[in-house]
Amino acid sequence: MSRYMLNKVMWEVDRTDEALAAFKADTPAFLNAWEESWRRPVPPYPVGGSLTSRERVALETRDFGTLYAMGTNPFLLWQFARSVSVPGSMSIEQLVISFREAVLPHGYPDFFT
Amino acid sequence: MSEIVGVVGITHNPLMWSALDDPMSTDLDGVTANTSRLREWVSGLAPDVVVVIASDHLHMLVTSNMPAFMIGKASRMRAIHPNETRSFGLQPTELSGDHDLAAHLLGGRGMAPGFDFAFSDEPWLDHSFMVPLLLLRPELDLPMVPVFTNANSPPIPNARRFAQLGSHLRAAIQTATDRRRVLVVGSGHLAHELGGPRQFLATSPDPRFDEEAVSWMANGDLESAIAGSDFDRLTAAGNETYQFLNFITCMALAGGNPATFAEGTPTRFGNLPFFAWEDL
Repeated sequence: MSRYMLNKVMWEVDRTDEALAAFKADTPAFLNAWEESWRRPVPPYPVGGSLTSRERVALETRDFGTLYAMGTNPFLLWQFARSVSVPGSMSIEQLVISFREAVLPHGYPDFFT
Repeated sequence: MSEIVGVVGITHNPLMWSALDDPMSTDLDGVTANTSRLREWVSGLAPDVVVVIASDHLHMLVTSNMPAFMIGKASRMRAIHPNETRSFGLQPTELSGDHDLAAHLLGGRGMAPGFDFAFSDEPWLDHSFMVPLLLLRPELDLPMVPVFTNANSPPIPNARRFAQLGSHLRAAIQTATDRRRVLVVGSGHLAHELGGPRQFLATSPDPRFDEEAVSWMANGDLESAIAGSDFDRLTAAGNETYQFLNFITCMALAGGNPATFAEGTPTRFGNLPFFAWEDL
């Protein structure tokens, strides 16, 4: 895919309470529908909204370190991480620590789209 | 002719804003003192319109369409996006705009030489606009003109362009024919990181940058501020430090004069900026 489209899917998840609830309830189904919505008639990029297997796994498993290393926008990524994780899978304090540990090895990737 | 009655540069950290109601811990005493001081000063200026220079945080503007500089010219504007209510407790609201002043700043029907703004008839303001207003003018009773700057998605305009923006707005405000008393508010950060390894460290990611930045403002040292705020230096100070550039716009808009108040107030959210220009 592209950094732009990865940013876009995270933005769309976080944009409304309805999208966030759908993503949290059934992430694979949400991503399938999202990919389908970008296939036709004119995808914004040659590969449209199709996720690579690595991107899909990173989104499904909330692998924020990998998403960061891919060059997603750090602000968007943090907002996405917070929204999909808290409340639910962890507290904000736990997320702050686990997020830092996840991104720390990757330094400062270029997030130019 | 309109008059610039005051220029303020201030934090918009939404976590800080929500922490003011916590109950508040003592590390925010300096924030409340500075906010009270500036709020009282602003009230005494008796402004009748406010121009806010801020950087949408990928709420309204994403990279499907990303203007470098944009002016909102609606007479009514909505503010606060759903994820900001969810994350920070900020409540959605509506504000009055000043369509005529916004149109004048744009250059009227034929854009004036020097600055080619994008414009929006449907601006939707996020916390970067609203937290400064809530801190300085919680009544939200002034019509406002939002000036959007891209400081979140590279390529980001360079520091000199932000200074030129300030000079352009200064001249444009001062040639507005209606007699308005215009308050200008710049919204931004000192060294700041979000979504990177140095976020939420309970201290500044780059205290040396903060010290330099405050001294540039206090001394009216516009050229040093520009020289010290290139993309790589700001990135090194923290991946959200680009919004410091809005304060360079403020200093240029204040005629390059020294700020009469300049402080990076230490908190658990880092050093938070408070600047004011009374000599204009």
